[in-house]
Amino acid sequence: MEKKYAKQIMEKDNVATCLADVSRGETVTVKFGGNETEFVANQDISFGHKIGIKDVAVGGFVYKYGQAIGKATQPIRPGDWVHVHNVVDHYEVI
Amino acid sequence: MEFLGFPRPDGQVGARNIVAIIPSTGCVNAVAQQIEKMVAGTRAFTHHQGCLHPPQDTDRVTRTLINLGRNPNVAAVVVVGLGCEMVDMESVVKGIRESGKPCEGVQVHKLGGSLEAIYEGSRIAAGMVYEASKLRRERFGPEKLCFCTKCGSSDTTSGLSSNLVVGEVCRLLTEAGGTFVQGEVCDIMGGEYALKDLCVDPEDGDRIVRFVKRLYDHGIAVGADVRGSQMTAGNIAGGITTLIEKAMGANAKGQNVPIQGTIEYGNTPRCWGGRHIVATPGHGFENLTGGAAAGAQLILFTTGRGAPNGHPCIPAVKICGNKKTNANLASHIDIDVSSVLEETETVQQAGERLLELACQVASGTLTRAEVLKFDSAMEILIDGPVM
Repeated sequence: MEKKYAKQIMEKDNVATCLADVSRGETVTVKFGGNETEFVANQDISFGHKIGIKDVAVGGFVYKYGQAIGKATQPIRPGDWVHVHNVVDHYEVI
Repeated sequence: MEFLGFPRPDGQVGARNIVAIIPSTGCVNAVAQQIEKMVAGTRAFTHHQGCLHPPQDTDRVTRTLINLGRNPNVAAVVVVGLGCEMVDMESVVKGIRESGKPCEGVQVHKLGGSLEAIYEGSRIAAGMVYEASKLRRERFGPEKLCFCTKCGSSDTTSGLSSNLVVGEVCRLLTEAGGTFVQGEVCDIMGGEYALKDLCVDPEDGDRIVRFVKRLYDHGIAVGADVRGSQMTAGNIAGGITTLIEKAMGANAKGQNVPIQGTIEYGNTPRCWGGRHIVATPGHGFENLTGGAAAGAQLILFTTGRGAPNGHPCIPAVKICGNKKTNANLASHIDIDVSSVLEETETVQQAGERLLELACQVASGTLTRAEVLKFDSAMEILIDGPVM
């Protein structure tokens, strides 16, 4: 079977973006800095959606582009689908 | 990075050779549309503003119409007025004429009816088209190019591929002396401090933060927190989770290119060359008009799920990094950059490929939106209230 990949942009990132539709239990490969790391999807994850690649505690920042893009509202484990159900925007207008 | 364009009396260079029919108020759109039907080579810039505005909106609509008429893609202009509107037809005519372009006004009340205005406007426009058709394209360098940019119907691929590719074009174009205009204040929201850090003049950085604050306050004044409403159902379905994530992906259209200036809606950059931030909204109709009024010859329009619309004044080059959309909506996409996600092409290579296409479009190659006539709608931003 063809490998399914997810794209990590910066080293600091704790999520990667799936480049194919992934079913629960399927293996997702993240290529970064010449290394390939495999994760097992804990839920179905659609193309373009994010998969957790590091543990994030409740209230911890989710990083993409090397930037904090939101805060976890539930514990995130590697392999978890990461989206609006477990992340909230922390942005404040000054 | 050379292109073939139409030289204008004010030194700008057009990618198209339009005779524009510009209503000073939406009340006379029907007249402008009839003239467009009567005379080949004309485009009606119809909108729904021009009357019952507070003074600042009247000023903004006036200067936007003037700067649309002065856009380098426009060879000559017929301004259509009704006769009782707030946006004064004669002021628009005068402002456009200052560029040295032929411009005439026709007023429905003065001429005794719409049929008379259609006749007179068509007669004038026909003469303008005949004269404009004698112009020939000449070769110019990148310092005469100005691109604006927009992302529409975005998804995660926008921030991972197409916007990164546009960012590469921004770098290449501005390093060669060209001008790049980036807007979408709502998309900047969440990433304004990252842009502020790129401003050559700190005052421009403060202005960008104020652009965002102004939008936020405007939302609060009408009982809405725009941080929530800026995220569309389509964005979320495509995998974008938060406004900051969207902002970081949107800001990528300018890479880390230094910012030379800021522009209020309807104005042109205070200097040519480099990257500029314009206070346009994300909504396409008003956004593209803001880019055209700033003087851009074309739009680098990234899309994830497939936004087909263009603009009557400037061609829109559709750039898509979503493999599914490229297959499904091939007739609306000008360039496929899904290769960046597939890792079969680098962002730099795709950027060079897009720049080459953009120069071809600036030289006359038609975009999909032009071929499909998916480019007639436009609007002008107002703050309101509508009275």
